[in-house]
Amino acid sequence: MLAFIIRRIVWTIPVILLVILMTFLMMRLIKGNPFQVTDRPVPPSIQRNLDRKFHLDKPWWEQYLYYVRDVGRFDLGPSLVQRNQDVNDVIKEHFPTSIKLGLMAMGFAIVIGVPLGVFAALRHNTVLDYTAMGLANLGFAVPSFLVATLLIYFFALRLKDYTGLPTNGWNGPSSWVLPVIALGIYPMTYFARLVRGTVLETLQQDYIRTAKAKGLRWRFVVGKHVLRNSLIPVVTAAGPVLGGLITGSFIVETIFGIPGIGRYYVTAVTGRDYSVVMGITVLLSVIIIVANLVVDILYGYLDPRIRDERA
Amino acid sequence: MSEPDVVSSEPATKRRGRRLKGGPLQTRRTEFEDTLARTASARGAEAGASLPRASLWGDAFHRFMKNKASVVAAVAFLALLAFVIIVPFVSSEDPYALDFSQAYLSPSWDHPFGTDQFGRDLFIRTALGGRVSFAIGFAATFTIMVVGIVYGATAGFLGGHVDNALMRFLDALYGLPYLPFAIMTLAVFGTVNFWTMVVALTIASWFTTARVMRGQIITLKQNDYVRAAYAAGAKGPRVLYRHLLMNTLGVIIVFVFLELPGVILGEAFLSFLGLGINPPKASWGTLAQDGYTAYQAHPYIIVIPSLCIAWLILSAFFIADGLRDALDPRTKEA
Repeated sequence: MLAFIIRRIVWTIPVILLVILMTFLMMRLIKGNPFQVTDRPVPPSIQRNLDRKFHLDKPWWEQYLYYVRDVGRFDLGPSLVQRNQDVNDVIKEHFPTSIKLGLMAMGFAIVIGVPLGVFAALRHNTVLDYTAMGLANLGFAVPSFLVATLLIYFFALRLKDYTGLPTNGWNGPSSWVLPVIALGIYPMTYFARLVRGTVLETLQQDYIRTAKAKGLRWRFVVGKHVLRNSLIPVVTAAGPVLGGLITGSFIVETIFGIPGIGRYYVTAVTGRDYSVVMGITVLLSVIIIVANLVVDILYGYLDPRIRDERA
Repeated sequence: MSEPDVVSSEPATKRRGRRLKGGPLQTRRTEFEDTLARTASARGAEAGASLPRASLWGDAFHRFMKNKASVVAAVAFLALLAFVIIVPFVSSEDPYALDFSQAYLSPSWDHPFGTDQFGRDLFIRTALGGRVSFAIGFAATFTIMVVGIVYGATAGFLGGHVDNALMRFLDALYGLPYLPFAIMTLAVFGTVNFWTMVVALTIASWFTTARVMRGQIITLKQNDYVRAAYAAGAKGPRVLYRHLLMNTLGVIIVFVFLELPGVILGEAFLSFLGLGINPPKASWGTLAQDGYTAYQAHPYIIVIPSLCIAWLILSAFFIADGLRDALDPRTKEA
């Protein structure tokens, strides 16, 4: 097991280096001079100094190594647009909000989605099953910007007197409710469908029939044998989903005016603040890579067959 | 039907014993003989006539038509496509004419979807937006399939070190957040038009296709007919094309319907964030963004293009589901 974990962690390093390289090369391809703020060209002497300061006079691979070195020191460099801010400052300011939003949406998705899927499977081919799956399909298909807008329209505008929810912002629990639901609905439907599928599959296993034949109470069979075995896929799916939630809240953050990393990313791209774009992209990628790593290790822990095969 | 085996493999005494008890076995036997006779006579009746040729695609079509949800989905998908294609031809409205006296009209007979802030008819603009969304969607799906198939098939077919290197590279890219990379790609190009959008949507979306294709090719490679083809003197490229790629067509078609909604949704997200193709052209995402700016007074404007996207996603999903069962009967029986 330990060997498996170490191998898996060591393998993450070249992956991260490759992702940084790709981001780096893409950034180099972008045209335009980031130092030219006005229409006037930057004086050559100043340009030369700036180039030296940011190592732009070196060949590209040396620049890449400088960047990797800085990333290794958790220093993502200065912002090109906000003169007095580092990319680190930007991330420190905006990222916690996104993490919080993502974690809460994840909680919502699991708390609602998993029971929904279990009940749908246990009441297979009944009205409950069809209703639950109909809802899940709807939530899967409707784009998040419509969900978010309708939530605001009904609960923060029409029913404001009853709910008292604000239309946007990120101050206090009442402003968290709608964004969390808007972001959580898609993963919720995902979990509901996933769990329904795995529970249905587990119910057909021989050991379930054996447990029933032994005369165990049905509730016990479901709790002990069915649920335990059907929730392993949820654990594996949870990592990428959480990574996706933390990194993919662009739309929801924009609509609700939440000062998170997604909204800032869009601002940075339109404002051509490339060092920020690059820093955030690297950060988001690393988060997803680490999430996949954690899931792989967890999966190996939960299912010995995987571990033995890969180690 | 394993009836004859059961009968013949059992010792005679046991058989007699059971027959004395009478009942089930006896009746089942006659049933079986009946069926046998019927099939035989049916064969005889059709012996002169030409049998309808059972082809892979014909069988798949029949299986698909038996799946009600998928048939409904297919009709819904075609209806949406027809709406998008036909309406701009038959409508007398000018989708780009500005008339502020007609701004934000509610849905009516003249304007079934109402009008936008410039007084433009939203019925025809939804259809035109659908054309843009579909065009980008199909083009991006096509490039995703091409890149994924070439990459995956190369890895799977060549195997060995090439496979190892390609797959390690793919592992590294797998799970990258596609939206940031799409946004960065658009920034690299500097402009947003049809083709840059297609590239942006492809760049971080082809990994799954490549992975699945590699798996398919590797599985197919182990078939006896592939060895037979080599033995008969076929060269690598011919085996790859004729025996491997052709046999993945089913999977490829299913994947087209799995990728298409994702790509169209991705385009809608980018457009919604203001990174879509330039006005006055619009996609469903742009229309939704227009609607979002006015949602407080006119909430239906954002609903219409969003529901078009939802319609497309759902129908494509159920089509893919039906196709998967239809094209690979083994999964259904297993």
